[in-house]
Amino acid sequence: MFGLNKIIPVEPNINFLGLRRNFLIFSILAILISIGLLSIKGLNLGIDFKGGTLIEVSTKNTSIGELREILSSSYSDVSLQEFGNENIILIRLQNKSNQESIETVNSVKNLIQDKVVEFRRSEFVGPTISSELLFRGFQAVSFALIAILIYIWLRFEWQFGFGAVVALTHDVLFTLGLLSILNVEFSLATIAAILTIAGYSINDTVVIFDRVRENLRKYKKLELVDLFNLSVNNTLSRTIMTSLTTLLALVSLFIFGGEVIRPFALTMIIGVIIGTYSSVFIAVPTLLIFKFRPQDEDD
Amino acid sequence: MKNYPIWKSFTVVSLVLLGIVFAIPSIIYDENSENWFLKNKINLGLDLQGGSYLLLEVQLDVLYKEELDNFVDSVRLISRDQAVKIEKIDIQENEVVVFFNNKEKIKDIRDSFFQMYRGITLQINNNKLSIKLNDEYRKIIQDSAIKQSLEIVRKRIDESGTKEPLIQRSGKKRILLQLPGVKDPERIKDLLGKTAKLTFHIVDNDNLSALQNNLAPFGKIIVPDMYDENTKYLLDKRAVVGGENLVDAKGSFDQTEGHAVSFRFDTEGAQKFGKVTTNNIGKNLAVVLDGVVITAPRISSAITGGSGIITGNFNAQEASDLAVLLRAGALPAPLEIVEERSVGAGLGADSIAAGQIAAIIGMVLVCIFMILIYGAFGALANVSLIVNLFIIISLLGTIGATLTLPGIAGIVLTIGMAVDANVLIFERIKEESLKQTKVFQIVKNGFDRAMSTILDANITTLIAAVLLFAFGSGPIRGFSITLSLGVIASMFTALMLTNFLVYMYLSFANKKELKL
Repeated sequence: MFGLNKIIPVEPNINFLGLRRNFLIFSILAILISIGLLSIKGLNLGIDFKGGTLIEVSTKNTSIGELREILSSSYSDVSLQEFGNENIILIRLQNKSNQESIETVNSVKNLIQDKVVEFRRSEFVGPTISSELLFRGFQAVSFALIAILIYIWLRFEWQFGFGAVVALTHDVLFTLGLLSILNVEFSLATIAAILTIAGYSINDTVVIFDRVRENLRKYKKLELVDLFNLSVNNTLSRTIMTSLTTLLALVSLFIFGGEVIRPFALTMIIGVIIGTYSSVFIAVPTLLIFKFRPQDEDD
Repeated sequence: MKNYPIWKSFTVVSLVLLGIVFAIPSIIYDENSENWFLKNKINLGLDLQGGSYLLLEVQLDVLYKEELDNFVDSVRLISRDQAVKIEKIDIQENEVVVFFNNKEKIKDIRDSFFQMYRGITLQINNNKLSIKLNDEYRKIIQDSAIKQSLEIVRKRIDESGTKEPLIQRSGKKRILLQLPGVKDPERIKDLLGKTAKLTFHIVDNDNLSALQNNLAPFGKIIVPDMYDENTKYLLDKRAVVGGENLVDAKGSFDQTEGHAVSFRFDTEGAQKFGKVTTNNIGKNLAVVLDGVVITAPRISSAITGGSGIITGNFNAQEASDLAVLLRAGALPAPLEIVEERSVGAGLGADSIAAGQIAAIIGMVLVCIFMILIYGAFGALANVSLIVNLFIIISLLGTIGATLTLPGIAGIVLTIGMAVDANVLIFERIKEESLKQTKVFQIVKNGFDRAMSTILDANITTLIAAVLLFAFGSGPIRGFSITLSLGVIASMFTALMLTNFLVYMYLSFANKKELKL
């Protein structure tokens, strides 16, 4: 219509596989750095997984500094943060036991009562619950990965399953690494985001693999590298289009969706970009390890 | 329209209409409507409408310990009857070991004990009897405690005037509470924080040395005063009568005593109470609530009417709260709050507004983008996308799902991902159009070829969503629901509605060639 569809050529012929070594090195480095970051710096665990108390208040005629002064006289481990705008403040406290925390919420409320317009929310997660939530989160992610793999295994040859595992593990680790660098709060919603990324990334991979399988049947004589390149090129415009529309929706969510949902949107944005990258540059080249045709053994 | 079966058009059109019609209740959103149709609206989660979520854990350890204490008392009674001396009693984490001074009668003791507590594990080793709280026995205690706690919590919440609370068991020893509209859960937490175990005991004023040494003889207990920890009473361990015999309790006002709680016993309680007060005139009767003495007045005359008042230094609120607790009955064990999430109505409304803006802007951006790239076909996909949104809303409303903030995120995400199926189809059509010229053949091939890819791609997303539902909790489940519904709806809209629209468009525009 406006000729914009010509930006992505109908039959592109980009040599993605030719660059595979560079991208492989990049990804390996990224994963190593991510693992390093996760083990040294760790994730910025929210109260869902760390336990503790969180209170969100909207304030009047006061500053975050003033509130901090009032509260830090009673609590040593209090942290305050502006949340969206300067009148909304998030107060986080660590507690040791369940009982302590109920009193904490009450006494914090009493201390700052006259500076506050509204107590917007208060959350408390006890230590037993937070460790359970963390465990269940990991359970969910692992089971999802396994279930997706079994599905791929059933629908494709096992080699494709292997390629999908490599890409998925890559996506999850890389995303976690970036969350660690960016200090994004890791909460239950983040787990949901990671699972959705897994689903999205595999979705992307499946579309390309589908084409690889089709082309394997269609072009019996073509060299594997060329065949893979062709498959990636065939599906390129779809890969780009879907990533862009998904990113458009996510960016809208990130900007307009409110402060609470922002870490979720950010995690998803990171994940969609990484997932798209890995489908093309990690999942497909991984297939090269395997010899899909007898005649390739002569090479 | 050639080649397009009538039944298929009919199905598509009616499903779309159903989707739009059943989205109406959620769009109008009349909160109090009783109309059968308008009732099919989306339920808002606590994070959107404001309210409190509490997770309570029944402190079973307290019960286990209580049961072990009961074992000790029983074994003492039995051995006294059998005239056997106990040398030592060893109470461990889940077992009581009793050492007797001779082993002749140990089997009889064991048998009598087993008569009282069936299902318990008893072991004899020389002069040693060990009584074990085994897993089955613990499970019985656990189940009955949870059942009772649930009932009491329900009564207390009802008494507090909370509208439409959700109270249910969660896992082995927890109770989940959802209290919509409760902004400040402090009073509820106060109400649930007390066990409210009420008992009446005769005070022993004769044995002063026991109080001085702080060592209760067998059959007695030392209990502190509610208002002054240093004042202690020596009481008969056995309660004369307890809160379970109460039929009513009310906050009341007495000219001389101030705020008080008046109560009435059932027949059994009235009889017991009458008998004890008749036989113990001149002694003191202690009113014990959760391990402290509220008051211990002297029995001046027999009370046979079955009613009385409890006085203490109450204010009006305390007296009426105590009455609520007594009416509802005692919890078998204390409850501990292990998780709490309370959202004010203000934040909830802000979240809804922000979610709507994000959804609309996301939608507009995606629609513009689709038209820029695919022209008329893009516009058809946009129609599908909008219908898709209606279908998600109507499904959420009719299955009575709860929409949460992550759920809104799921819808926005679906807007971005839902066009994927359309994109897959259009890209295939684009490829096919290079191979041949017959317009309808191109479209048919495009849809057919894209089909298996669409299924594969969406099923993987569904797998992730279903597992998220299985392992997630609360709001996260809301996300997995909207995501799943979105994926399913998008498959329908792409494979059926877009298909229908494309055929319609090609027939009416009478296109002889296809350029995408």
